[in-house]
Amino acid sequence: MTLQATRRNRFLGSAAVLLALFLLPYVMPNDYWLRIYGITGIYVMLSLGLNVVAGFAGLLDLAYVAFFGIGGYTFALLSSNQFNIHLPFLIVLPIAALLTMAFGFALGTTSIRLSGDYLAIVTLAFAQVFKLLLINLDRPVNITGGVNGIYNFDAINIFGMKIVSPESYAYLIWFSALIVIIGCFRLKDSRYGRGWNAIREDELAAKVLGVNATWMKLKAFAGGAFIAGGAGALFASFQDSVFPNNFDFPQLVIVYCMVILGGLGNILGVVLGAILLSILPEFLREYGAYRMMFYGLILIILMALRPQGLLGAIGFLSRTKKRPDKDETGVLRASTDLYYEAAPESECKGSENGKYCKGNRVALEIKGVSMSFGGITAVNDLDFCLFEREILSIIGPNGAGKSTVFNLISGIYRPERGSVLYNGSEIAGLKPHQVLKAGIARTFQNLRLFNKMTVLDNAKVAQFHRTKTGPLSILLHLPRYKKEEEECERYAREILGLFGKRLTGYRLEQEATSLSYANRRRLEMARALSTKARVLMLDEPSAGMNPQETSEVTDFIKELRDKYGYTILLIEHKLNLVRRISDRVLVLDYGRKIAEGSYDEVAGNTQVIEAYLGRKGR
Amino acid sequence: MEAYLQQLPQQLINGLTIGGVYALIAIGYTMVYGILFMLNFAHGEIYMIGGFAGWWVLHLLSVNSRPIMNAALIISLMIIAAMAVSGILGVLVERLAYRPLRQAPRINLLLSALGVSIFLQNLVLNFQGAKPRFFHVTALVPKHIRVIQVGDVVFSFMRILVIAVSFLLMAVLSYMIKKTKTGKAMRATAQDIEAATFMGIDTDRIIVYVFLIGSALGGAAGTLVGLLFTQVDYYVGFQAGLKGFTAAVLGGIGNISGAMLGGIILGLTEALATTFFPSEYKDIVSFTILIIVLIFRPWGLMGEKIPEKV
Repeated sequence: MTLQATRRNRFLGSAAVLLALFLLPYVMPNDYWLRIYGITGIYVMLSLGLNVVAGFAGLLDLAYVAFFGIGGYTFALLSSNQFNIHLPFLIVLPIAALLTMAFGFALGTTSIRLSGDYLAIVTLAFAQVFKLLLINLDRPVNITGGVNGIYNFDAINIFGMKIVSPESYAYLIWFSALIVIIGCFRLKDSRYGRGWNAIREDELAAKVLGVNATWMKLKAFAGGAFIAGGAGALFASFQDSVFPNNFDFPQLVIVYCMVILGGLGNILGVVLGAILLSILPEFLREYGAYRMMFYGLILIILMALRPQGLLGAIGFLSRTKKRPDKDETGVLRASTDLYYEAAPESECKGSENGKYCKGNRVALEIKGVSMSFGGITAVNDLDFCLFEREILSIIGPNGAGKSTVFNLISGIYRPERGSVLYNGSEIAGLKPHQVLKAGIARTFQNLRLFNKMTVLDNAKVAQFHRTKTGPLSILLHLPRYKKEEEECERYAREILGLFGKRLTGYRLEQEATSLSYANRRRLEMARALSTKARVLMLDEPSAGMNPQETSEVTDFIKELRDKYGYTILLIEHKLNLVRRISDRVLVLDYGRKIAEGSYDEVAGNTQVIEAYLGRKGR
Repeated sequence: MEAYLQQLPQQLINGLTIGGVYALIAIGYTMVYGILFMLNFAHGEIYMIGGFAGWWVLHLLSVNSRPIMNAALIISLMIIAAMAVSGILGVLVERLAYRPLRQAPRINLLLSALGVSIFLQNLVLNFQGAKPRFFHVTALVPKHIRVIQVGDVVFSFMRILVIAVSFLLMAVLSYMIKKTKTGKAMRATAQDIEAATFMGIDTDRIIVYVFLIGSALGGAAGTLVGLLFTQVDYYVGFQAGLKGFTAAVLGGIGNISGAMLGGIILGLTEALATTFFPSEYKDIVSFTILIIVLIFRPWGLMGEKIPEKV
């Protein structure tokens, strides 16, 4: 019933939008407003493209307006008398978009490793170089026409239909804008959208969970450039001229204002922001001189008061929020049901032989690994092996180098010396997402969940590296995409189900940040499990938990080994937990291994006692 | 090649002049970045407004392009007014646009700074118009020292003045940072703002000082450039800001002596580049330097590479 209702609403909504787009050109009072209508469509596309880069992926790209310009000038050069090239529009448009995408890609590869401000400045410098080239490339050979630009283009001819009148442009532009809007929605709701979201929230965690951050950022750059290039070609044709000033810094600021006013990442918001800021200045035309000042103020005030934008957090457009303490019928839940219910209901596949038997095959081997930070040796010539289906606990005083060992294995640091072998092949020096792909997942001591993403999406992101649908399948919703999404969703629910009702039910749609502390710890583990890695590295999984919760987590970890056949490397301070589940224990102090063996052997070791308690008789 | 060598001393002087200006601008970027890790996009605009402040002083104190009092006094007043106006403006910007965002993600701070930049630029556009304002400086300098010739090298008095003032200001700043109590507090705040607070340093106040000093130096640079190139318009801040930032990055952002060195290197490079490339491409050369440095050595010449803490 509810599903049908949403379907019906969606259908009615789409029908209304289509009807409006069809009728609007007729109700425009004159050609002037018809042109504003067309320009608005171009701004909608432009803002949505920027939203892919800055909103989805969180990259402050100040060269964006140059991409718009590359699209515009490509059109200008390929369908005008400038070089006497007259290609049909249906060929020029894809060329402009793809060429701009190539430029976006090139710019991305050079600047993508820079973060935040640096990226902004490098891209700004690129944009300046672009503009200076536009202005100066009229000599010695006249390419861009310098400050005079290029004008008088061929009329667009689509299968015999000439696009000349403002009405026909309005239809063409808004048809393209509609495609871009739908494409953005589809992107946001796919593995791409989730991957970008994760990178924006916590890049390191995203990498460790298998998202190839560099590659995804590049794709965002390229995707944004693609849209900007197409919009640029349409704009050039619509204006019938291109000038360097069309693609200058103030233009960029206008587009940024549109995106931020609507709310970075919020597609409908951005569309509304673009429409609002395209039309509003027309009503304030007598104050035209103050227009840019006004844009500056918008940025300052929005950042101070409402950085999420106008529609950023308005409920009816975002996901419908459910009261966590009520069930669907509105009856209050008893919280005890949630907290003290018994074990998982669902069987997880993937256990190799059903029952636990410790393997004698080495899964992970650390050989002579060293790492130092500015003179302090954090890990010193460390050797150890992790056998299949075993729980090896690493203990040691604070600063012993335990977390550094995790960082070295998971590829966050590259060891200075030594090697890390997984199933016999070297993984030292691999990037974090490659280590994960090889089959090693980890959790973080100080929780690094994607806080603004839902519980379900947190578990789905972790499957990024296993899912393969490309942009085409996503944009066209090919069967391949649907199949993979369903499988991804099913597996995420299955894994979350391992924790009983704590992470399922109404909580699936809650933001991770709204979970209780213990549940966030559980989600951190669930996320690592969703990757389907066979080796888990758990960094203090019970930190901050009460005895009841600790005991539960201990059982859970044990079950992961016994029932599902995981191989587990564990850092833990609670020795009770360590004693109950470890097959072997490794003790570190000052980056060196000082003992290794069963819990009892290690606990009786004098060196270990000294490390923990100090030497007698001092 | 020979012609090139003949030009060399001349270009060195030109490079040193503009380099000193870049260095002054770069200091403002680097001081703010050193403490708040934010890129003060509006700094170029503050520089531009400093230029206008200098112009107004000159304008009010001349009749028919002739100064009404001692030229040295006018020039000093111009620089002081520019420093005061820009310094106060910098503090205002910090108070109104940046301080409310101290805890916000950095991208918000950057966007707010972008907003301030656009706002100030267009404020000046609306009140001063788009046409450049000209500094009538010829009458300021006595005829016999307007142009100084040493051997084959000819340079103007203004260049000497700009070099002298910019280096003097830098020396004063270095002394202040190294020797005074406030300077020490600034260095402490730059290293660890939280720890500095625990040591009893009023870090909010230090941040105000940083904006005050950085912006004042930027304002001085604005007036010096006005004296040198005899004009200022609402749009000069954008380019100059980028140049200053390039210099700051080149020297290692956050490092004050680095910013000075970076400015001078950038100025010299630009001056020498004009002997090889057409002068329209001068800006392209410096932006290319910026891009290359950021990509291959983002911590600059004198900055330290800090590993990310996990």
